[in-house]
Amino acid sequence: MKQSPQLQAAQARMAPGALTMDGFLGTDPRDLAEILEDDEGAVRRLGLAHEALAADLHRLTERAIGGFGAPVAEGPFELCACEAMGVLPCPFGEPGLHPKAVIEARRTDTGERLSWTALQVHLIRAHGFYEGRGSPFRLEPPVLARFLGLHPPPQ
Amino acid sequence: MGSVVSAVLVLAGLGAFLALLLVLAEKRLASSGPVRLRINQGEPREVEGGEPLLSALKGQGIFIPSACGGRGSCGLCKVRILEGGGPLLPTETPHLSPEEIDNQVRLSCQVKVREAMALEIPESLLEVEEYPVRVEALTPCTYDTVKVRLGFEADAGFSFRAGQYVQVETPIYDGLSEPVYRAYSISSPPSETRFIELILRRVPRGICTTYVHELLLAGDRLKINGPYGDFYLRETQAEAVFIAGGSGLAPFEAILADMAERGIRKKATLFFGAVSRRDLYDQELLREYEEKIPGFRAVPALSKPAPEDQWEGETGLITEVVARGYESMAGMEGYLCGSPGMIDACIRVLTEKGIPEDRIYFDKFS
Ligand SMILES: Cc1cc2nc3c(=O)[nH]c(=O)nc-3n(C[C@H](O)[C@H](O)[C@H](O)COP(=O)(O)OP(=O)(O)OC[C@H]3O[C@@H](n4cnc5c(N)ncnc54)[C@H](O)[C@@H]3O)c2cc1C
Ligand code: FES
Ligand SMILES: [Zn+2]
Repeated sequence: MKQSPQLQAAQARMAPGALTMDGFLGTDPRDLAEILEDDEGAVRRLGLAHEALAADLHRLTERAIGGFGAPVAEGPFELCACEAMGVLPCPFGEPGLHPKAVIEARRTDTGERLSWTALQVHLIRAHGFYEGRGSPFRLEPPVLARFLGLHPPPQ
Repeated sequence: MGSVVSAVLVLAGLGAFLALLLVLAEKRLASSGPVRLRINQGEPREVEGGEPLLSALKGQGIFIPSACGGRGSCGLCKVRILEGGGPLLPTETPHLSPEEIDNQVRLSCQVKVREAMALEIPESLLEVEEYPVRVEALTPCTYDTVKVRLGFEADAGFSFRAGQYVQVETPIYDGLSEPVYRAYSISSPPSETRFIELILRRVPRGICTTYVHELLLAGDRLKINGPYGDFYLRETQAEAVFIAGGSGLAPFEAILADMAERGIRKKATLFFGAVSRRDLYDQELLREYEEKIPGFRAVPALSKPAPEDQWEGETGLITEVVARGYESMAGMEGYLCGSPGMIDACIRVLTEKGIPEDRIYFDKFS
C-alpha cells in the first residue's frame, strides 16, 4: 500500500502530544501504510476480519462502560472501564468524537490481561488500525484474537 | 543503463522543481498582508493574512472551541463564513452536514485568511476571554482527584454562571509539541471573583491531568479561557434531579453555593455516584447545603462498596438508585454531569420516567 497524503496527514496527527500523550505509533519505524498493510495480512492469516474483532471489543467496551467504573463480569471476562468526561477525535480525520475510556480486561479462566480504549474499537473497525509497535495501546492481532476467544474457522 | 539513470535524475529534478513551485505559491498566497474580518456585522478588525482563521480569531481574543488543536479532526471549530473564505476544502467536507454546507458553515482551523471575510459567531463565544491565573492551592479530594484554586490578577473581571466551565491551557511539557486545551467545570460560586476552583480527576496517561497531578505546584502560572457552556440552573418551579459521577460533582458545588447565597428555592435532589467510599468527597459540604437550602437533599450511592467501607447508604449503579427513588419524574428537570457513558445511561432512565429530553441539561462536546 502506498502512503497517500491522507495517510500522511493521519500519521502526523498520531505523533506524541498531538491528540494523545504517547501518540499512536509508539517506536514503530514503519509508515502508517505499512503498519495497516502488515496488520491486514496478520488478521487475514488468522481467518478473521477487522469487523469481527471490533464487534467483540465493542460489546465488551459497552459492558465495561455500563459499570461506571466498577468491575463487571461478562462470560469469561472481568472488565473495568476508567472513563473520563470529554471526547477525542479520530486521528484519521473523519467526523465523529469518541469517549475517553480505558478498558482493563482479565480472562478469569486463563488470568490473561489486556487493555484497550474506546477509540481503538473505532480504529479497528473503521481503519483496520491496531496502533504502532511500542504504543502503550498496541493490540497485536493474534494476541487480541486469542484473548477474545476468536479462533480461525476450519480451513 | 545510463539512459535509465538520466531519466530517473530528470524525473527527480522535475519533482523537486514542482515541489519548490508549490512551496513558493503557498508562501505567496499565505503572506497576503493585512486582511479585514467583520464579525457579526461589527466594526471590521484587521488581521495578518495567511494564517488559519482559528488562530487569527484567537489573536483577536476570540476563542472558538477546539479539541484537536486545529488539526482538522475534531470538527468543533465551526463558524459561519458569509463572505470570503474561498471554496470548501476536502479537509472540511467530512465534518459538515449538507445543511451546514448550505448555511456556509466552515471549519475555522482549515480556512486560511486570505481575503476580506464576513463571519457569524455565537455571541456567547465573543464573551469568552483568556485570563492569566496563579495556582493558589492544590488540595486532594480523593486518591485520584484534586481541587485546584486558580487566582486571578487584580481586576481581571472574570464572571460566569454557576454550572459553566473553563478551558485550561496545558503548556508544553515532555513531548507535547504545542499547548492543548481541556474543559473543567468551575466548582466555586460566581460570587467569588478573586479565584475559581476546579476539580480534576486523574486520567491515566492523560495529557492535561498528568500535568496537573504530577507537575503543577502552588505558585505556578497558567492560562485559562472561558466561560463556556449552557449548563446552569433553570430558575423554574420544577423539581430538579442532579446526577453527578466522579469529578462531575464540580458544577453542582457551584450551583448549590449559588442557590444558598441567592436564596433560590427549588426542590432538588443530588445523586452522587461513586464506586466505593474512597471515591466520595465533599460529603460534609453537601450536608451543609442540606441545612442551608430548603428542599435540597444529597444522596451518595456506591456501586461496589468495599467490605471495609461499612456502607449503609444507597448501593447500586447511579441509574438504578435514581430509578428506585421516583415512581414518575413527570414535570421534573434533569441536570447531568459525568462521563459520556453515564450521561447516556441517565438520559435513558430520566426519559423513561417522564422527563422530556429538552428538560435534561448537560454539557457534552458534540
Ligand atoms: C464540558 C466539560 C466539562 C468537564 N469538566 C471536567 C471536570 O470538572 N473535571 C474533570 O476532571 N474533567 C472534566 N472534563 C474532562 C476534561 O476536559 C478532560 O477530558 C479530562 O480531564 C482528560 O483530559 P486529559 O488531557 O488528561 O486526557 P487526554 O489526553 O485528553 O485523554 C486520555 C484518553 O485518551 C485515550 N487515549 C490515550 N492514548 C491513546 C491511544 N494511543 N490510543 C487510543 N486512545 C488513547 C484514552 O481513552 C485515555 O483515557 C470535562 C469535559 C467537558 C467536555
Ligand atoms: S480545531 Fe478541530 S477540527 Fe478545527
Ligand atoms: Zn476514524
